[in-house]
Amino acid sequence: MNFNLTEEQELVRAGVREFCQKYVEPLAEKVDEEAYFPMETVKKLTEQEWTGIPYPAEYGGAGADYLTYIIVVEELSRACATTGFTLECHTSLASYPLYKFGTEEQKQKYLVPLCKGEMLGSFALTEPGAGTDAGAASTTAVLDGDEYVLNGSKMFISNSPVAGVFIIIAMTDKSKGTKGLSAFIVPGGTPGLKVGEHLNKMGIRGSVTAEVVMKDCRIPKENLLGNEGQGFKIAMMTLDGGRIGIAAQALGIAQAALDESIQYSKERVQFGKPISSFQAIQWMIANMATDVQAARFLTYHAAWCYDQGLPYSKEAAMAKLFASETAARQTNRAIQIHGGIGFIKGHKVERLYRDAKITEIYEGTSEVMRMVISGNLLR
Amino acid sequence: MAGIWIFAENREQTLELLNAGRNLAQDFKAKVVTFALNVHLAEEYINHGSDEVLLLPLLGQDQSLESYVPVIAEVARQEDPDVFFIGGTQRGREIAARVAARLNTGLCGGCTGYKVDQKNKLLLMNRMILGGAAVQTVVCTTRPQMAVIPPRTFEQAPLMEGRQGKVIELPAAQPSAVKVINRTPKVQESVDLTEAKIIVSVGRGMEKKEDLSLALELAGVLGGEVGCSRPVAEELHWLPEERYMGISGKKVKPDLYIGLGVSGQIQHITGIRDSKIIFGINRDENAPIFEAADYGIVGDLYEVVPKLIKELKVLLKK
Amino acid sequence: MLNIIACFKWVVDEADVKIDAKSRALLMERVGYKISDYDRNAIEEAVRLQEQHGGNVVAATVGPSTAKQCLKDALSRGPERADFINDPSFVDLEPEQTAAILATAIKAKEEYDLIICGEGSSDLYAQQVGPALAERLGIPCATCVNKLTLAESKKEIIAERKLDDGMEVVSMPLPALVTVLPDINTPRIPTLKQVLGAAKKPVDNITLNDLGQTYKPCLQTTGILAATMERRRLKFGADEKNILVIIGALLKEGVIA
Repeated sequence: MNFNLTEEQELVRAGVREFCQKYVEPLAEKVDEEAYFPMETVKKLTEQEWTGIPYPAEYGGAGADYLTYIIVVEELSRACATTGFTLECHTSLASYPLYKFGTEEQKQKYLVPLCKGEMLGSFALTEPGAGTDAGAASTTAVLDGDEYVLNGSKMFISNSPVAGVFIIIAMTDKSKGTKGLSAFIVPGGTPGLKVGEHLNKMGIRGSVTAEVVMKDCRIPKENLLGNEGQGFKIAMMTLDGGRIGIAAQALGIAQAALDESIQYSKERVQFGKPISSFQAIQWMIANMATDVQAARFLTYHAAWCYDQGLPYSKEAAMAKLFASETAARQTNRAIQIHGGIGFIKGHKVERLYRDAKITEIYEGTSEVMRMVISGNLLR
Repeated sequence: MAGIWIFAENREQTLELLNAGRNLAQDFKAKVVTFALNVHLAEEYINHGSDEVLLLPLLGQDQSLESYVPVIAEVARQEDPDVFFIGGTQRGREIAARVAARLNTGLCGGCTGYKVDQKNKLLLMNRMILGGAAVQTVVCTTRPQMAVIPPRTFEQAPLMEGRQGKVIELPAAQPSAVKVINRTPKVQESVDLTEAKIIVSVGRGMEKKEDLSLALELAGVLGGEVGCSRPVAEELHWLPEERYMGISGKKVKPDLYIGLGVSGQIQHITGIRDSKIIFGINRDENAPIFEAADYGIVGDLYEVVPKLIKELKVLLKK
Repeated sequence: MLNIIACFKWVVDEADVKIDAKSRALLMERVGYKISDYDRNAIEEAVRLQEQHGGNVVAATVGPSTAKQCLKDALSRGPERADFINDPSFVDLEPEQTAAILATAIKAKEEYDLIICGEGSSDLYAQQVGPALAERLGIPCATCVNKLTLAESKKEIIAERKLDDGMEVVSMPLPALVTVLPDINTPRIPTLKQVLGAAKKPVDNITLNDLGQTYKPCLQTTGILAATMERRRLKFGADEKNILVIIGALLKEGVIA
């Protein structure tokens, strides 16, 4: 057992904290209030070489471990959940399937610019009629000569309005259910590919989320990722890794709620004393801190499994389940500690409370997480 | 010659150190020796309690004050003072560090005060460490015991009647490798609130926008900036948003924060709690600002501020 | 081509120091360490000059052998190599000791054109090491520098000093030493590859034995107590007399002038 981060991981964490203080925190309120996508921050993430952290240098990445990447997402999310998630979606959902299943040519063409931060990536699985039930997908891909023709629509697609490339899951053989799904690389701006309006969300409001509609969208045959019928496997493996990223995002949000609560409770005076001297508050703080630490260990352990080449599907699901529920519970407590002021727009805990909720939903709901965990245990 | 030695680059600080030096001279039964930049100052220092004055030579156009280091170190080496206080300007701190290095002795930088061990002729000197979180006490085991003393640590030494003292001229400073090629005296300019040394903050106790002139005038006299609490910027729009301090606004750490009609809600206090000194003026004797302040005046800002401006103008000669 | 030494100190992060309210003792069990704030500006300035004029940058530090952690931090900011002058006894050194140790090591093994130090350390802020080091090396120095330019001759450095009474521009023949203010530059946050590459950069481990002498402090610490941060909470009336008392107090505090 070794609970120490490496010196490099500690340095990266310190660097991200400084980065957040300088560039992310000052924008966070605007990002939330105006549903503003912080493109200037994304550019700076690129300068820091944080856009392809766990991928090898030959593909433009930094060649660091997954845990380093997780720490970056955690710290970014602690300052602004939108920023943390934007990087997570780009790295885990768009870059990973290319890295894992792409041909050398596909990697050079798409993974390299993604890792170098020359463009952002997006991943499209969910449909209006197919959320958790991915096999119900109605988007189709039909081979026509040297081209696949895609038709259908994808819903709640993060990063889609700003993406340079999409990984799109579509049905190539309806009769085979999930085994009939395939994954495709679709460059942004391909004729027939339309990105809808930025959806007005409850939380992570700056993250750009939209519907993606394909109408006779033609892509070259070589843009098939992996083999036909591998789409479901690619999506599930991609989400397994993504879940560690969402756990890190939730962890950052929960940590921020704890930070705000500790600070406020020491300053807020009632009955002539700071409220931190009352046991009711002390117990809330103790519970929050314990939950946050447990969430951190689960999350880091899942990342460690990934780095060691061990199976991590169950660990990722546990981390995401616990961290996201921790974030939801602790942001709620943080508002309770703040009282009325925490209910006012413009206060950080009010934003954290709304940002936390989505972590229980996307990249697999808490219910799916429980299915994954129990499925691993009971088979 | 031994004794208590004093060097500061200006008259005010020299007089402050002279005051400390006089008291110490009695404890140590030693004389006070002061460096002076010209004969007029030499005479003045004697009249304010110096027993001897070391008159520094004139510097060339391209020499900076730091060129005195070899001169000062050489005379100190010959005369072996017990104590050497240096005025804590930026130049003073450099000179002190270099003289101490030449003399191989200890230097307490930023000495905020000391106690005297009369028997052993030792100073127990205090300095702030860890960004002001703690006070460390040190003694210097070598001679001279050196300290850099920040401005206004002591009152100026009073004029004493009928004093006489010896003035000794020091040899010319050697040409120095450091050549001054340009000098620009300081100009006053408006700065970012987080960098302001003095902030006059306007709260809801101010009745109308026109009255901001009071705050502006006070800030002008003090060389500070005007800021405000959140409602003054967000609700009343009297000042731009980058001027409000608080939990969601600017976090500032001026040397002096003056709140005019600021009630002192925790959300505002959070933004100003790193101020060195907080001074609040408010009509309401129970306003929370007084709990968070070092100095408070319970009174109507419309009466207090004009008086304050008037007195400051006189005292600061503005 | 400039050979530059950037000196830095590994200090306690003052934000982590807790205080025991009763005894006023400092609780240091859970403190973190960092490169002293202004020393980051010193390293940045060295790297900036090197980017402009070529040459190389050495980061030099004096500290206990346990402070090894500081090396990757410093090297990730751009210097090619580091001098780690260490000994278990190099704890809570007085500035005069640090300056003397640096001087011995630099004389023994470095060829340099310029030494850059921070204006003062985050823990002691004594502002002594830079000028004292210059004296021991017998080279010219300028403190409080907020702009540095290499003269066209490449044999002199032009330093703009920001002082209490205004700006002063000086020129000095190389080799020389400067201490820099935080507004001279904005230290860049190391990129991920810089962090990962730091471990591969060479570190010269210089021990007390290598230095061949001992360094006794001239100052001895007799006590450390937490500063009482409580506000004074002095309330006054509104008449002239009270106003004068407060102005007097503010003058004495040195916050107005």
